[in-house]
Amino acid sequence: MADELIVDVRKRHAGGPEIAIALRLPLATHAVTVLFGPSGAGKTTVLRLIAGLDTPDSGSIRCGDEVWYDGARAANRIDIAPQHRRVGYLSQDYAIFPHLTVRRNVAYSHAARGWDIDGLLSRFELSGLADRYPRQLSGGELQRVALARALAAQPRLLLLDEPLSALDAPTRLRMRGDLRQLLASVQVPAIVVTHDRIEALALGDSIAIMIDGKLRQTGVVDSVFDCPADADVAAAVGVETICPARVVSRSAGLVTVEIAGARLVAVDIGDASTDVFACIRAESVTIERNPSGNPSSARNHLPARIVSVIPEGPLARVALDCGFRLTAIVTRQSEEEMRLREGEQVTAVVKATSIRIVPR
Amino acid sequence: MEWQALYLSLRLSFWTTLILLAIGLPAAHWLTFSPRRWKFLVEAVVALPLVLPPTVLGFYILLAIGPHSPAGRLYASLTGGMLPFSFQGLLVASVLYSLPFAVQPFASGFAAVDRKLIEASWCLGISRSATFFRVIVPLSVPSIVTGMILSFAHTLGEFGVVLMVGGNLAGITRTVSISIYDDVQALNYSAAMHTSLLLLGISFLVLAATYGLRRRVWAVWPPYGR
Repeated sequence: MADELIVDVRKRHAGGPEIAIALRLPLATHAVTVLFGPSGAGKTTVLRLIAGLDTPDSGSIRCGDEVWYDGARAANRIDIAPQHRRVGYLSQDYAIFPHLTVRRNVAYSHAARGWDIDGLLSRFELSGLADRYPRQLSGGELQRVALARALAAQPRLLLLDEPLSALDAPTRLRMRGDLRQLLASVQVPAIVVTHDRIEALALGDSIAIMIDGKLRQTGVVDSVFDCPADADVAAAVGVETICPARVVSRSAGLVTVEIAGARLVAVDIGDASTDVFACIRAESVTIERNPSGNPSSARNHLPARIVSVIPEGPLARVALDCGFRLTAIVTRQSEEEMRLREGEQVTAVVKATSIRIVPR
Repeated sequence: MEWQALYLSLRLSFWTTLILLAIGLPAAHWLTFSPRRWKFLVEAVVALPLVLPPTVLGFYILLAIGPHSPAGRLYASLTGGMLPFSFQGLLVASVLYSLPFAVQPFASGFAAVDRKLIEASWCLGISRSATFFRVIVPLSVPSIVTGMILSFAHTLGEFGVVLMVGGNLAGITRTVSISIYDDVQALNYSAAMHTSLLLLGISFLVLAATYGLRRRVWAVWPPYGR
């Protein structure tokens, strides 16, 4: 058997959805897997089950050739204590021991005694803080202490629960890049829980989408974000427009669908069903003032009425009515150049390759 | 004033506090972290001395450690002596009588330790018992000190249980509170007053120290906006 983490568990949680997931994770490649989903999907519970801090109702957890949990045989159930799983678990607020200095936090585990603690501290830029207490540190520094402490225990797997959520916005921005580099440099595979798209894109090599306690899609981060398997996943990864559509015709790898009277051409994914969802990201919708003379066949041009224009920093979010509700994102500059105002008629342009058709 | 009685009381309080530290820490740990559903029964038993009349408690302890009880016979076979009307008997009674004064502050201190810190320690490979001494106890020091001070003060002032179990033997079981009672019975009011004042002073100091420790910041309802 290859060196893999194999999780196949069920857990009913008071006040949450029943968690039933099957997950395989290669341990040899030191990859970062993002466990992504809306709040309340059960992501934290999955990490706690893997760490041994919660016990599944049934199923099994294997790591390489070790069995961490096996609930199949009720008589001699296997449940390895968290102490013996060698998992580095970082909770949301890092759980740094407040009564110990940075150095003694990092050197806390037995395994840390064999380590060059000073080297580890300098690698995480903590040398100058070694004799400080946690209450004197910033959020970003606490996070580095937590990572260094977990690594000193020589884990075979790192579990990070919302690693950036406890930080203020500017620090979060900076730490996103730092954390990616640190995770890449430590040579330990990691599972990172997040509900933030940008974090997922910045940190993850692969991604598992979790909704209501179930894993709905796994794969490379970009491909899952670009090609959600169904409407729920599309909504979870933040696709702005998800409309029920009916297939009218199929030809030459393209499919024509009808949404509330409007016809759209999209790339055919080869599914035979006629009732589908059309998923369109706001950033792939462009707005034109006047219909261009000769529209190419691969572009959809839809007459639309502007419902609202909401500024979002350097961008503006434009809600359009094309018979169905379509959201577009344009730069503030082009918004001002085109003088987009509520109630005006424009043309929405969407490339066929930007429309993702998923079965209903 | 009876210095002998005061010395005996201080000695009794010291040993009671020390024994309660040894018994109370594991007991409080069990009460805080055990998943057993029936642990509320144990909690109730530990809290009994708070509500039982000292005479009732003293009476049962007297029966339990008497020469015909299993505990009394075991003690006699080990040491050749008897527990009732001895300092050791007094110690047993005091430990039981002050148990809630140690265990309850210990347990509330343990319960206030952030669970995530405990779990972090486990995930770093540190056993449950080592985690207790490396994380839970250091973070509960104020509560542990509170429990020890309360046990000490409570033992210093006990009367009923001591009288039931220890009687009134000078130098052996006559504690300071019993000596005050004796003085009053003998109409020796000035001696009683001196001893009482001393005990009042010690008790106030002990409690002031306790509340001072609990409140790390000397905040007294700060003005708005500060």
